[in-house]
Amino acid sequence: MVLAFASFREILGKERVLHLKESATVKDLLDDLAAARPPFKEAAFDDTGALRDYVLLMVNRKRIDPTLDLSRPLQEGDELAVFPPLAGG
Amino acid sequence: MLNDAEKKRYSRQIRLFGEDGQERLLRTSVFIAGAGGLGSVISLYMAAAGFGKIRICDCDTVELSNLNRQILHGSADVGRAKAKSAYESLTDINPEIEVEALLETISEENVDQLLQGCDIIMDAMDNFPVRYLLNRAALQRKIPLFHGAISGYQGQATTIIPGKTACLACIFPRAPPASVFPALGSTCGVIGSIQVTEAVKYVTGTGKLLENRLLFWDGLNGCLDEMACERNSACRECRDS
Repeated sequence: MVLAFASFREILGKERVLHLKESATVKDLLDDLAAARPPFKEAAFDDTGALRDYVLLMVNRKRIDPTLDLSRPLQEGDELAVFPPLAGG
Repeated sequence: MLNDAEKKRYSRQIRLFGEDGQERLLRTSVFIAGAGGLGSVISLYMAAAGFGKIRICDCDTVELSNLNRQILHGSADVGRAKAKSAYESLTDINPEIEVEALLETISEENVDQLLQGCDIIMDAMDNFPVRYLLNRAALQRKIPLFHGAISGYQGQATTIIPGKTACLACIFPRAPPASVFPALGSTCGVIGSIQVTEAVKYVTGTGKLLENRLLFWDGLNGCLDEMACERNSACRECRDS
């Protein structure tokens, strides 16, 4: 399941259940989302196709490091949260 | 000891944390970084609650487009320094406390001077570069930073206790790009109020703080979520503290 926050929620909805191939990784899931929802691709990825460096990711409510853990395999029932930090005051 | 006027003024909240708690609030010096949407709510509630010394800092002048949310300032203040109208509003709501309102841009050069004598820092900024400065200063001084940020209907808040919790750079290692964000006064009200509640709990020793928890408010859907955070042992800012 994908939990989206802030502006990503407006694009993806609050929660979205996805069925992935076996041994799919965090990156596979993000790529699937980007392919299914172009506005998400635009918001979360830069022109080179890399995840924007400020985007926060959490698997099962625990932070993962996008520079190290995108290849992490996901299990049945895992929850991925995607979150762009807010900056206004 | 509280005098009779103070016992009366704060009677409804003394029920929550006693006269001892109120005395602690009155002994606390607060630095509020910004007198905009969040800073308006934070400073008004802190002044009303009797935080004894409030130093609020903002370099801007009031614009008409601020007034949908920046309730420290009124229509007659357009064109005036926010620090001036902040001083007037805060001393009006509580003349018993000490208010200092500074017309300054917070920078690496002056942040140490600005924070002199302050016990807690309230983040009411609108950008991450200055937030990182405040985070670093909080770590150096070992004083808490109450973080809040908003955009449109959404907001986030967390409480940073140096040496104990994740710092701002652990949670947000990289700053999102600067942009003109949509802003609704009532979202500032929700997040600023959460930040003040955290500060009250911290000072009076009540309740459970938002430590290592990032609270997320989605006003559009009417829901609150939280995410666990933890210290990053390789954090550029706090790994040595």
